[in-house]
Amino acid sequence: MQTVAICGPGADALTARLVAALPGRVGVVRQVAEDGGPASASRPASADTTYRLDADRWHATGDDPSLRDAIERLAPDHDHALAVEFTGADLPTVAVGGADPPGTVVAEVADADAPVDDLVATIEDVEPFETVESLVAEVKRAPDAHRSGAIATFTGRVRAQDDPDDDRTQYLEFEKYEAVAADRMRTIETELAEREGVFEVRLHHRTGVIPDGEDIVFVVVLAGHREEAFRTVEDGINRLKDEVPIFKKEVTEAETFWVHERE
Amino acid sequence: MEWRLFANLAETAGTKRVEVAAEPGDTFGEAFDRLLETHPELREEILDEDGDIRDHIRVLRNDSNPFVVDDGYDTVLEADDDLALFPPVSGG
Repeated sequence: MQTVAICGPGADALTARLVAALPGRVGVVRQVAEDGGPASASRPASADTTYRLDADRWHATGDDPSLRDAIERLAPDHDHALAVEFTGADLPTVAVGGADPPGTVVAEVADADAPVDDLVATIEDVEPFETVESLVAEVKRAPDAHRSGAIATFTGRVRAQDDPDDDRTQYLEFEKYEAVAADRMRTIETELAEREGVFEVRLHHRTGVIPDGEDIVFVVVLAGHREEAFRTVEDGINRLKDEVPIFKKEVTEAETFWVHERE
Repeated sequence: MEWRLFANLAETAGTKRVEVAAEPGDTFGEAFDRLLETHPELREEILDEDGDIRDHIRVLRNDSNPFVVDDGYDTVLEADDDLALFPPVSGG
C-alpha cells in the first residue's frame, strides 16, 4: 500500500483531488479536533470499539487512536493511504503551500490546485507500507490461491533484550542499497516460487528507524501444503539475511554500533 | 564514475557517494585506486596488511562482484556502471 502524509494549507482539498486521481482503493486518515467531530459525538461510552453497519457503509469508533494502527488496518485491502495533517508521522510526506514538516518530504506542492499527475507518480514510487496481514491478503489474491492449503509467515521484530541482563535496545536503524536490495529480493521470491507446490513468495524489509517491539521484516509463502510452506518461509528469511544488502545499526541504552561489527 | 558507500564505510568517509576521476574504458582498479586516494581514511577498513581487499568487504559493479564474474581489477568500466563497497550485510 502506497502511503504518504499530506501537510500544510490546502492539504484537505489536495487530498480530495488525490482520492479521485489515484487508481485502486484509497484510504484516508484524518485528525479530528478534540472538541467535536462526528467520531466523538457517536461513540457510546461503554464500548471500547463500536462498528455501525448500514446498507452499504460501515462506521467505526474506538479507543487508543494511533495513526500507525489506522494505517495498518487499511493496508490489507487498500492500494493507497493518505494521512492528512499528520506531521512527524515518519511517513513520506507531501508538503503543501510552503509547509516545512519534519521527516522525509517527497514532494512540495504550491497549493491545492496544482496538477496532481506528477504527485500521483511520486506516490506510486514511495516505499510501500506493508504488514504481515497486507502480504497475506496479497498472496490470497494470487491466481493459484484456490490450490493453496497453507500460508506460512515469518515476522522479524526489534528485540529489546536477548538476555534479562542486557541493556535494552531502543531502536534499530536500517540502511539499504535500494536498487540492488530490490533486485535480490525479487530474485529470491521468484526462485522460491519455482519450487514444486509453492505458489507465491513475498519478502518485505522496512528501512529507517524502527523502535523496539515493532516489526522489521516479513516473509509470506502461499503453498499447497504445510511442509513446503514451512521450508520455504525458513529458506526465504535465511536467504534475505545472507544475500540482500541491508545494514543494521543498533542503539541501546548504553551504546550505538553496527551489528556486523559485533558478529 | 561514482562510488556508493554504505554503513560504517560511509561514516568513515563522511559521505555515501564519492565521484572519482574515472571514465568508461578505465579499469575497475583505477576507479578503486582513485576512491582510496580521495578518501585515504577508508584504506584501513577496506584493505588488509598485504593491500588486498579484506575478506568481509563486499564489492559490487552493478549487481555482481567483478572479482567473480568479470576480470577483477582489470574489469573495463562501462558508462552508467554503479560501483559500491559495503561491509557484511545484516538485514532482518
